[in-house]
Amino acid sequence: MEYFTTELLTLLFAALRSATPVLAVVLGEAMTQRSGVINLGVEGQMLLGAMTGFAVASVTGDPWLGVLAACFAGIALSMVHAILVLGCGANQIASGVAVLVLGSGLSAYYGTPFVGDKIDTLGNLNHTFVSDIPMLGQFLGPITPTVLITLLAIPAISIFLFRTRTGLRWRSTGESQDITRNLGHNPMHYQLAAIAFGGLMSGFAGAALAVDYTANWVEGMTAGRGLVAVGLVIVARWNPWYALPAALLFGASEALNLKLQSWGVNISPYLLATLPYMIPLSVLMLSYRGLRASGGGMPAGLRVVFQSAR
Amino acid sequence: MTSATQPVVKLTLRLLSGPAGAVLVMTAIFVVATLAFFAINGREAVSLFQEMVMGAFGDSYSFSETLVKTAPILLTALAVALPARLGLISVGGEGQLYLGALFGTGAVLAAVDQPGWILMPLMLTGAMAGGALWGVIPGLLKTRLGVNETISTLLLNYVGILLVSFVVHGPWKNPNSLGWPATIEFPAGAILPQFFDTRVHMGLVFGIVAAVILHILVTRSRWGLGLQVSRSNPRVGATAGISYERNVLIVMAVGGLLAGLAGIAEASVIQNRLQDGLASGYGMTGFLVAWLAGQHFLRIIPLSVLMGGLLASADSLQLYAQLPKASADILQALLFIIVLAVASLWGRRRTT
Repeated sequence: MEYFTTELLTLLFAALRSATPVLAVVLGEAMTQRSGVINLGVEGQMLLGAMTGFAVASVTGDPWLGVLAACFAGIALSMVHAILVLGCGANQIASGVAVLVLGSGLSAYYGTPFVGDKIDTLGNLNHTFVSDIPMLGQFLGPITPTVLITLLAIPAISIFLFRTRTGLRWRSTGESQDITRNLGHNPMHYQLAAIAFGGLMSGFAGAALAVDYTANWVEGMTAGRGLVAVGLVIVARWNPWYALPAALLFGASEALNLKLQSWGVNISPYLLATLPYMIPLSVLMLSYRGLRASGGGMPAGLRVVFQSAR
Repeated sequence: MTSATQPVVKLTLRLLSGPAGAVLVMTAIFVVATLAFFAINGREAVSLFQEMVMGAFGDSYSFSETLVKTAPILLTALAVALPARLGLISVGGEGQLYLGALFGTGAVLAAVDQPGWILMPLMLTGAMAGGALWGVIPGLLKTRLGVNETISTLLLNYVGILLVSFVVHGPWKNPNSLGWPATIEFPAGAILPQFFDTRVHMGLVFGIVAAVILHILVTRSRWGLGLQVSRSNPRVGATAGISYERNVLIVMAVGGLLAGLAGIAEASVIQNRLQDGLASGYGMTGFLVAWLAGQHFLRIIPLSVLMGGLLASADSLQLYAQLPKASADILQALLFIIVLAVASLWGRRRTT
């Protein structure tokens, strides 16, 4: 029994750590979509963030500077989406794919010299008071700063979105731009902020992956995490609190994949590696049934993008 | 200004304010952006640009390599443009390409001792079935559950690539390949015909024929008209006996089938076997080309040649000028961004 609990808790906390980059993207993208804009470019922004964060950490020796640089890289690339969508009125899906390709190209081009570098990590909670907590200490110890920051972002975003005046206007922009306009505000300002926030979170997510979780940079290392996150936003019903269980789905399937491999289960690692895509996709299917019936909290402005995107 | 030149000027101005002007502006911005990209990275911008053009279209060998790259781009672009006729945004060309290669290779391995006239049709049928399967799944998810096809196709891309990795590292791995994860070499009967002693292969012919047929079907046939009705209003379509759901499955299946052909052509002609990294990025490039062409089947053909040229020259510049391969991705993205921006602004100006 004790063995079982230990294994389960190990798996859960492993899931939390591998879910963190995805969670950050889900939170950012949910905020973007709340304003009525969808951005598939988060995958490219995440890659550029990962590369920039790792490179800066490697050159300066300061991983925190890397995290900061990653956030800026994410914002900078998201502005391409903002210019195309808000400035030129381009199709949001097409623009997102353009940003995706640009981000993966730029990160591959400028990241090559840093492949294989060693960087200092952000550390974890081991050897702090937390790891002395009886029973739970061994599980809490390996938790890293980006995990905590991302978890803290959940209540912060939730308070902003549901308890502040600006948050209300942010949401109303996603439902109907006319409402925001009639209230005397420019909906585009909110959408610009929303795209930038998505850029910030995806850049941060890249750093959480490259600087913190793996301490490594490999070309294309996000492997679709950003795109999985865009799908999980729907599962999370555009709600920051539901973002955590949604992202844990990805984390758990990845942790399960690694766990099964370490147990020597006789299934090809390549088949097991499909789990982090198949499980979110399956949950997305279930989730869509509810969505069809009730709308499930999809911002009305987004419905236009989804249903008549041409 | 003399009265003789006035009509010429007027005509030029009128042409420039139309689509031709937009294309001219796009091209100019793209050339400047490319030169700037080279210059920023400390290269001799102008001479590198010249080498790039030469590397794509400079001599018959370069041009043949351009056409080699054109084939998969053309086929995967059609796999995007056909669903777009129904308002669907599929980004699944990459996965469909891999599944086509997977099923096609499966057919080859199952019938490896058979003569070419049996093996080749089996291989092509397998490839089409595999690609179509990877198109129908998101189609079914869309019609049965309403799952957004953009997200499901994107996720299935990764699954498709991993499935190919699975077979070449596992059950289909050639035991004599000294650990290299790949299947056995395809027998001669499973190598698609090539032209004029180059690597240019049947895949290109499939693509051009498919583009022309699709263009005729969509613009001239009842079915094509039905797609238009279904797209603008599925309910009106339904009263006229046109099933939106069935059309979704058809366009996704046919699109997938074409991308599947691209996959088996790569495995058969270019690699002579199935292995990892079969065709990284062709699916995405196809998506960009379909959008650049405004989802117009015939316009896709020249644009695929142009994009094929970009990829082929990136390959040769990687060899001769140590230009990283990723620069092809960056230039593609720049081109796409410029075209999206200019076309959207142009369209906006027209409507206002």
